[in-house]
Amino acid sequence: MEDLQESEVQAMGATLRLTMTREDLAEVTHRLNAFIEALLPLIELAADGPEPVPAPVDPDRAS
Amino acid sequence: MSRAGDELAFLSATDLAALVRRKEVSPVELVDLYLERIDQLDGRLRAFITVCPTEAREAARRAERALAAGDPAPLLGVPFAVKDQFDTKGIRTTLGSRILEAFVPDADATVVARLTAAGAILLGKLNLSEFALGGTVHFPSGQPRNPWNLAHHPGGSSGGSGVATAAALAAFTLGEDTGGSIRIPAAWCGTVGLRPTWGLVSRHGTFPASWSMDTAGPLARTVADAGLVLKLIAGQDPREPLTTRRPVPDYPAALTGDIRGLRVGVVRELTEGGGTEPEVRAAVLAAATLLGTLGALIEDVSLPLLPLAGATFMAVCDSEATTRQLGWLKTRPGDYDQGTRRRLLTASLLPTALYHQANRARALIRQQVLDALATHDLLLCPTMHAPASRIEREQDAVTSKDVAARRFFGHRSHTTPASLAGAPAISVPCGFSTTGLPIGLQLVGRPYDEARVLQVAHAYEQATDWHRHRPNPPVGSWGSSDSGCQLLAVRDP
Repeated sequence: MEDLQESEVQAMGATLRLTMTREDLAEVTHRLNAFIEALLPLIELAADGPEPVPAPVDPDRAS
Repeated sequence: MSRAGDELAFLSATDLAALVRRKEVSPVELVDLYLERIDQLDGRLRAFITVCPTEAREAARRAERALAAGDPAPLLGVPFAVKDQFDTKGIRTTLGSRILEAFVPDADATVVARLTAAGAILLGKLNLSEFALGGTVHFPSGQPRNPWNLAHHPGGSSGGSGVATAAALAAFTLGEDTGGSIRIPAAWCGTVGLRPTWGLVSRHGTFPASWSMDTAGPLARTVADAGLVLKLIAGQDPREPLTTRRPVPDYPAALTGDIRGLRVGVVRELTEGGGTEPEVRAAVLAAATLLGTLGALIEDVSLPLLPLAGATFMAVCDSEATTRQLGWLKTRPGDYDQGTRRRLLTASLLPTALYHQANRARALIRQQVLDALATHDLLLCPTMHAPASRIEREQDAVTSKDVAARRFFGHRSHTTPASLAGAPAISVPCGFSTTGLPIGLQLVGRPYDEARVLQVAHAYEQATDWHRHRPNPPVGSWGSSDSGCQLLAVRDP
């Protein structure tokens, strides 16, 4: 997959009305590309695993 | 500072409480001792954001009256300090950020209230990475420095807590751990640091980083102190509905020294791999061997998903953190440190589909960790892949996605698995690098089994003398002529 370009990241930021300096934009683009590269393999993980609840369930909480 | 004063300052909180009860030292003497050390050492260490001498001396005088009246409070007269992430009534709570530099809470966080109710005396508020997120480049209250070598980072985000505990600027401290923020400064500063089970300790009055992983816990100079403090802060809080209803165990009573027959799994991916440096690996494997001689059963364990933990953690944590910060990010971007701002900007643009994939990965990693803990009492690995890094390395520009991946994901694989699993984990000193920097051993336990974690950590501590080593940071403040240290190239902004 091709890396995101700074212009694309700037457009994404504009949708949230976020302003970025030139230096911010360069670093955010590197960080976002790193995230995407690291997280895309997660799609290959088993889909029938445990449910993705945000926090561990303590069985004693319900008692 | 006198030699006798130094000896007293480095005693454990447990020992200091006993001395106070026996009236061999007074709370006023202890408060004055630590305030003097802060005055002489913190100009360079920058552990504190706010020091409260007037309030602390007032509390010490009240403690003396309580002592005369026979008050049995367990930490009566013992001075402590807390990360500037916990609310303190009438004392500013800045989160290490210009955005909250004038914020003064009208009530104490539950953990602070519980410790002061136990007789402990608050000395002040400790430095941290901005909003407890890590990656701060320019600290508004000054760069916290590792007391073993001022050119090196103390770790974060509870950096001030690690520094103050290691340099005996307080008897113990509180930190907050989302992905390692107690354990990393504990390892890098050479102290004990305990991340409790998620839900064991109230976070009421604690500014959130990531609600699904934040935990409050102690940094201390001994495992016994960590157990004592945990006993005092743990348990249900009506103001925090996510806290457990379980009764709080008597953690100090678990420190029997007997660990015979316990099964300890050495996590292969984080000990042999994970970028772990050879001298860290050697120290941790030597610790595992020592636990074996004490009667534990040491076994190899493989958790193949753990290399994904760093990126998974960052996606979840930063997405949760951004929900609280988005308003300020739009209206006050220039008031953030550049590192924090760029971290939050990135998370705010992360595609939702990937965020949900990260949540699925978290569930799988959690299951893998808990499955390993079903057959082992504890998991063992290094707390960090390397000893404390040099400060300027943390300030380097991010010039490519590979640099970003290495810095923000790769080096977070050791502490984040326990966070993703909601499990308790402790860091205890287990050696020093050839450059004289501390190395931390991490023990991860089953949820709500802090007693076992503390039991094994204590047995290891008692069989070694790593926790008796003390840093000797130079006296003075920045700009004084006696610095003689290598760090003048890295002055505060």
